[in-house]
Amino acid sequence: MDAQGRTVKAGASTTPIARAKAFGRWLRSGSLGFYKVMRANPLTLVGFVLVVLISLAALLVAVVPPITTALGYPVQMTPYGPNDLLPCPVVGNRTFCAQPPSVEHWFGTDRAGRDVFSRVLAALPLDLAIGFLIAGFSLAVGGGLGLIAGFWDRPGTVGAAVSLTIMRVTDVFLAFPSLVLALAIAATLGRGTVPCILAILLTWWPYYIRLTRGEVLAVKHQPYVVAARAAGVSEWRILFRHVFRNILEPLVVYLTMDVGTVLVVFSTISYIGIGVPPDVPEWGNMISAYGDYLLIYPWMVIFPGLAVFITVVAFSLLGDGLRDILDPRSRRALAQAEASTTAAATPAAPEA
Amino acid sequence: MPEPLLVVEDLSIDYEVGAGTFHAVKEVSFRIDPGRVVGIVGETGCGKSTLAHAIPRLLPEPPARIPSGKILFRGMDILKVPKWKLPLVRGTGISMIFQEPINSLNPAFRVFDQLAEAVRIRRLRETGKSPGLAPAMEGFDYSKRKVPKPGDVLAKPVLPSVPEGRKLAPAVDRQALRGDALEYLRLVRINDPETILGLYPHELSGGMRQRIMIAMALSERPSLLIADEPTSALDITIQAQVLTLMKELIEEIRTSILFISHDLGVIAEMADDVGVMYAGHLVEFGPVAEVYTQPRHPYTKALLRANPRQYKGDGPLPSLPGSVPNLSRLPPGCTFHPRCALARPECREPPGPRLEPVSGSPGHRTACYFSEEVATLP
Repeated sequence: MDAQGRTVKAGASTTPIARAKAFGRWLRSGSLGFYKVMRANPLTLVGFVLVVLISLAALLVAVVPPITTALGYPVQMTPYGPNDLLPCPVVGNRTFCAQPPSVEHWFGTDRAGRDVFSRVLAALPLDLAIGFLIAGFSLAVGGGLGLIAGFWDRPGTVGAAVSLTIMRVTDVFLAFPSLVLALAIAATLGRGTVPCILAILLTWWPYYIRLTRGEVLAVKHQPYVVAARAAGVSEWRILFRHVFRNILEPLVVYLTMDVGTVLVVFSTISYIGIGVPPDVPEWGNMISAYGDYLLIYPWMVIFPGLAVFITVVAFSLLGDGLRDILDPRSRRALAQAEASTTAAATPAAPEA
Repeated sequence: MPEPLLVVEDLSIDYEVGAGTFHAVKEVSFRIDPGRVVGIVGETGCGKSTLAHAIPRLLPEPPARIPSGKILFRGMDILKVPKWKLPLVRGTGISMIFQEPINSLNPAFRVFDQLAEAVRIRRLRETGKSPGLAPAMEGFDYSKRKVPKPGDVLAKPVLPSVPEGRKLAPAVDRQALRGDALEYLRLVRINDPETILGLYPHELSGGMRQRIMIAMALSERPSLLIADEPTSALDITIQAQVLTLMKELIEEIRTSILFISHDLGVIAEMADDVGVMYAGHLVEFGPVAEVYTQPRHPYTKALLRANPRQYKGDGPLPSLPGSVPNLSRLPPGCTFHPRCALARPECREPPGPRLEPVSGSPGHRTACYFSEEVATLP
């Protein structure tokens, strides 16, 4: 199947249409595990679709208004501005600003008369960017240091001293619960979005070091690493091609799940009240601001909470599926399961 | 006398662990001439694997420590090569195949990628882009396809490689790598190499993986191939297949091989010379036929006597009384004396016997004071 796909790709396809068809065939063949895993694993597909939708929505909300404004035809991606105070209905001599969900206001309005749906949507780019920024930065820093600490740790060498230093610094950070440490740093830096991001950024990477180092230690004594060394592969190449590639799987899974955790922590810091200022739409911020009215006006809290929940679940599902894609074993198994079901349905194509 | 390919001189290797210092290899000396297949035989824990790993310096140091000795590979002392230069010696100079074919291939890559890595390394060395420390040996013309005599070494590539300095487009380069990889898979008698190239290691059987390991090692065209118990982890049928393959390959591409095994039969079949190890010491070394028929060390004699295939009599298989000494507390003098039928008081006095040539048979050396009397043992 593989060889067939490759010959089709490199072979006689000259017209653009034929080439596109060949590409489609190659895409559906066993070479691309992603496609097969997605089809064989409905939950992963759900996670993947959700992540794509969420990311797309975030991109639109973040990018469209400034561009259209610059072009002179402002287009809002949210039905109302996140801080627009809508006219409140008056009954007798009382005003009712907090409206339950309706056709006009899908998620209802809050006590100041702001549209909750607009605020939830407006918060999306900020929350997602924070999740990716913090988790990605932690992976880069923690993963890099963890690789170094795990790979060069032979006692009595410079590498061992470096490794020891890295691990002891990590221990210092891990001695405090990261949330408490982040809160302390955020409180010191003062209120605001940027200090809050910085606070989490500073406390998040030690977990990645621990994870990476542990995985490296397990993989670097595998016979294939020794075999690669015996074949004359340089140490750096061994580190990246043989060690890093084989620990990628737990790292990526951890990263995708961590995006959700970061969101929760960020929301928690906002909830306590030392994070984002109240006028900035942010999910944790909204939950904290409206938390007191949970029993009277539940929609103000439930919908931002649901947004956090769905985002976290989407990334977790995707992370779970990514593990299958990154592991050649399960990828091939899934691909074959898929192939056998499709082969039963359609007559096999003649071999090229 | 040709220039020796590998000379090991008084090599000692210790393991420093919490419980003390273990003398895994003690004052071992031997040499491998170009084109010879040298077998090292011994029981579990006698230091043969440690020796095999020490030659390309694959031992983790620490805990391993090499207090004394020399490993001269084509005149260059490998123990003096700085660590960062070691990758230049390995692969194209000294290549290795291992005991566990199950885990010796990277599970994340297809067979093609693994073979291509080896071929690419060799090509970089050949074109001088990454200079190897061991220059290619004198060519041997294999186009005539006659069985070379021992002493002639494979250096003429099995396949023509890329002309020097020519730069290839990535796709063409990939095609060339593919061609090379296919050729080496055919060399190790793999049917349908096209399909195998696209498979992952977990989709192959143990014997198949070992063949691919052999293909990888050979694709670098090493001057010396170290085979560390290449068949021990395989079941008996596959073992026979792999051994037959290796034997054919030895005839075809007469590269020097250091063959480590605990199986006397395997060594007899594969090797030209054999070294017998006991408790870290090389106790006897010589041509296989001679060592097997006229052992000059009591341990060799006892080892041969305990071979179940040779035993025709009734009753229990003869065995050697006692057990292997603790490597951290070796007995003084000859390490074998506590179990030896010929032991006399002088055997207990340090230093023990050293490998001495046996009178009357060139190339045969033994470390026993009473080698003349070994023949009288049962």
